[in-house]
This record gives sequence, structure tokens and C-alpha cells, in this order.
Amino acid sequence: MKIEQFSFEYKNNFSLLNGSSIEGFELVYETYGELNAKKNNAVLVCHAFSGSHHAAGVDEINNKPGWWHEFIGPGKALDTDKYFVVSPNNLGSCYGSTGPLTHNKETGKPYGPNFPALDVYDWVASQDLLRISLGIEAWEMVLGGSLGGMQALEWSISFPSKIKKAGIIAATALVTSQNIALNQVAREIIRKDAAFENGDYLLSEKKPKDGLKVARMLGHITYLSETNFKNRFGRRLQDINNKIDETINFEVENYLRYQGEKFSEYFDANSYILLTKVMDSYNPAARFDNSIVEALKNCSAKLLIISFDDDWLFPSQYSKELHLSALKAGVQSSFLELTGNNGHDSFLFPTEEYVSAIKNFLNHA
Amino acid sequence: MHKNIETHILSLIPRRAKVLDLGSGDGSLLAKLAENNIEGHGIEIDSKRVIASLCKGVSVTHKDIDKGLLDFQDLGFDFVVMANSIQCLRRPHEALTNIFGIANECAVTIPNFGFWKIRMKLLKGSMPVSKSLPAKWYETKNIHLCTIQDFEKLCLENEITIKKRIYLNENFKPLNRVLISKANLFAAEAIYHLEKK
Repeated sequence: MKIEQFSFEYKNNFSLLNGSSIEGFELVYETYGELNAKKNNAVLVCHAFSGSHHAAGVDEINNKPGWWHEFIGPGKALDTDKYFVVSPNNLGSCYGSTGPLTHNKETGKPYGPNFPALDVYDWVASQDLLRISLGIEAWEMVLGGSLGGMQALEWSISFPSKIKKAGIIAATALVTSQNIALNQVAREIIRKDAAFENGDYLLSEKKPKDGLKVARMLGHITYLSETNFKNRFGRRLQDINNKIDETINFEVENYLRYQGEKFSEYFDANSYILLTKVMDSYNPAARFDNSIVEALKNCSAKLLIISFDDDWLFPSQYSKELHLSALKAGVQSSFLELTGNNGHDSFLFPTEEYVSAIKNFLNHA
Repeated sequence: MHKNIETHILSLIPRRAKVLDLGSGDGSLLAKLAENNIEGHGIEIDSKRVIASLCKGVSVTHKDIDKGLLDFQDLGFDFVVMANSIQCLRRPHEALTNIFGIANECAVTIPNFGFWKIRMKLLKGSMPVSKSLPAKWYETKNIHLCTIQDFEKLCLENEITIKKRIYLNENFKPLNRVLISKANLFAAEAIYHLEKK
């Protein structure tokens, strides 16, 4: 599989949905496979909240497989012998695309907490400029899980002629107040870290790592399911040699601490706040008299909506409702509820049914 | 589904109808509808069959019909098909009446448990296995089998009009004219065109 990494630079003023704008931007992205001569075999993969453009292949520096490594490659769900897969890092994130870590040309300082609020629409609009730069008339499919699925949905609403199929996985058109509540706790934990300094920590030597760590620990609990915790850890005690510190009794405690620690090394606190806000505020219906059915009347793509039965963060019910709204809008939509083994994170793990569903839909719909 | 049954169902569907196929299986009837430029959508309980349907380019909702059909009431369907599915439901009578909340017309097919060969097998003391009912008693998904007489009585009780009946023999061919009046004994399958006023 041919893997390449690029950066797309847009030099003009880029208007955002909320009325503000940024003076150009940069999107880093990876591609897998090759664009054919007709340029009609392109698939766009959108990452979730803390994901990056590294979706497949093994990163040489960190020896880390991409977040959808099992799904992208020769013979896999997105078969790179047939399709050219594009995976960008979103605006506002911290893996190289323009975001809070970027220097603001106007002030000469990093944007930090002053990076403008974004909408899923803005991500999609920036990805559309990337599409144009690649000379792709329309994506054969746009897909993603969680916040990535919301981007696939937004594509089908806002750029209907540029997308033939959409895969909306473990996603919803509107997060619940419980989702917002959980995100709010995570944001508060970060803000309460003394090193956060109202988001201006980039100007000092310190980083709000403790806040990020605990926020991630909370997030991580919501991404898994009770059964998943039970099967992975049960009530097993942590062996003494591998304890992070003396306060730890159970394996699950050690695991969460380790996950939080790791995350706080590489993720940016302002991005965390910005991206969770994007998730909370996403409401495509708001632009269509608060009717998701009206919004979906624009959609000409075929939809595949997948949910997982053990996902309590974005429960199946909301995916079903989205699907019914799509049918009501006259969209050709299929809905599939799969057995999950990893709660909300199930969208990251291949099962025979999950892979076949994506493959069949991409190849035959 | 036998292709003769498919052809008969197709003959009942008006042009330009938007069709909901209850128990759409692997999507073969939906694919056939698409070939005939009829817009269709399926409901199927089995995830494997939903996934197989995606190979045929048709759209399907993964759902248990027994959990209710209210969701589908105002989606603009004109015609409902329930082929070889009603006997698999926990509450077939509810599904049958709820169909008319979705569309005014439907086609329902049933395997006839009153077919003489089936009666013979029962007389000999065994649960019947036939072309229409191929599974053994412990493997079958059919939990509410009925005879032609039973089904037509249910329609009558629920004020459902039978617009057309098509009785088939065990080779899925239309029943000989002479035997039609004794369909409950001689038909292996029945296809109904139903309507509610």
C-alpha cells in the first residue's frame, strides 16, 4: 500500500460558520493507495475527537498503527488496491493542521485559547477545499465514526453533489445533554489545572498536563462499556511491580492513569476544549428551521448508518432516529445495529460483520 | 423466495408505488423491484441478511418487526410486502393490522399449513417438512403457522379486504382451476393482495 503524507495550504481568507474568519490554514493529511486517472476512486476518512490524519499504516517514528489501520489497506474494508483514501487532520486539532498551537499571523503569538470557535461545517468546508486541490470531482464515499460520522453527515447535507455515499458510524445529528455534561466536566478539570493559565500556558514553560490527564481518564470511561471493563479488568488487583504509584489497588486504576498520562504527553489542552465544543454545539438542523428532515432533503448521497448496541455515549436510538429522518427526507438510507464489544469505541475495532457492511456498501451501493 | 412468488408479488404492485418490504431477507425482492424501477426499502431482523442486502445496492433498516411499525407510518410508503414472514412474528395479527397504518395496500404470502401433504404428515404423527416449510421443528423460525382458512378469517375479523388471492401448488405453479374452491386442502402457498378501507 502506498502511504504518503502531505500538507495542504489554503492561502485565502477562510470564513467560518459563526461569522469569524481565519487568514488561510494548513491541513496535514495522509493518503493510502492511488488516485486513478478518472479521479473517481477517492474516499475521505474523517477522524473522531482526538484522532489524527494517521489512519492507516504504521508510523515509522512511534511505530504506531493508524486509528483505522484494520480497515484501510489491500483487501480491507477500504481496499487500497481499488480506492484512494484521504485522511486529513481537522482544523483546531493539534497534529499539524492549523489550530490553537499555530502562530496567529496578526499577533505573532500562538492562537492558544483565542482560536475561533469551529463548527463541523467548517471542517467539511476546509476538506472540500482539499478535495478541489486534489482535482477530485466527488468523493466515492465519506465516512467516519463518532465526531467523524458527524462530518460524513455534514458532507451529505452541505456538499451533496460532491459525495456519492456516506458512512455515519456511532454518530448522531445532535449530542445529548448528558454528552455535553460529560464534556463540561472534562473542560472544567482542564481549566482548574493551575498550569492552564486561562489557556495561555503556551507562553510559559508549564503545560496543564494533570488536567488533561484526568479529563482523558473521564473520557476514556465513557468510550468503553461496563461489560468491556468487566471483561478486560474485572476486579483484578494490579501487580506490585507495575503500579504507577502506591495509591493504586486495581488494574483498572492503573490502566486509566496510564492512558491519561500518555494522552497528556501529546494532546493540547486548548484543542481539547475547542474540539469538545465543536461536538457539543453541532446542530445541522439549526440551519434548516430546526428540522433535520429539512436538512437531509438536500442529501443525494446514499447513507449507511451504523450503531453499536453497547454504545452508551451515542446510543443506537439516536442513530435510528437519524436514519428515520433520512427516510422521511426521501434519502436512500440503510441502518445497521451491530453487536459492540467496546462501547462507543466499537467503531475502531473490526468485526467480520462491521467490515463486510462497509465493504459491501462501498462496492455495491 | 421462489421466483414465481416474486413474479406474482410484482404483478400486484402499482407503478410508481413506494414499497416497504417487511422481512426483506437478503434483499432479492428489493433488487427485483429496483430492476423494475420501483422504489423500495426493506426491514430485516437478521444483521447478516442486512449486510448481504448491501451487496445488492438496496436500502434496509435493521429492525425487529415485532417491536412495532409506528416509526414507518408517515414515511410515504404506498405498498407493503410481507412475503413468507408473517409466520415468524410473535404478534402476526398486530403486524397485519399495523401494515395499514403504513400503506393502504399490501401483499402477504403464507405457507398453507392446511395443505393435504402437511395434514398427512401430521396424521402420521410427525411435524411436516416440505418445500414451503423446509426446516425441522426445532430449527424453524416459523412460530405462528396458519392455514388459508385461518388467515382469511383473520382478515375478515379485522375488516381487511382480500382484493386478490393467488393459490400455488407445491411446485409454486397456480392451482388448477378445479381445486381452487378447495385451496385450503390443495394449495401449498397463498399470495394475498389486501386492502383496508
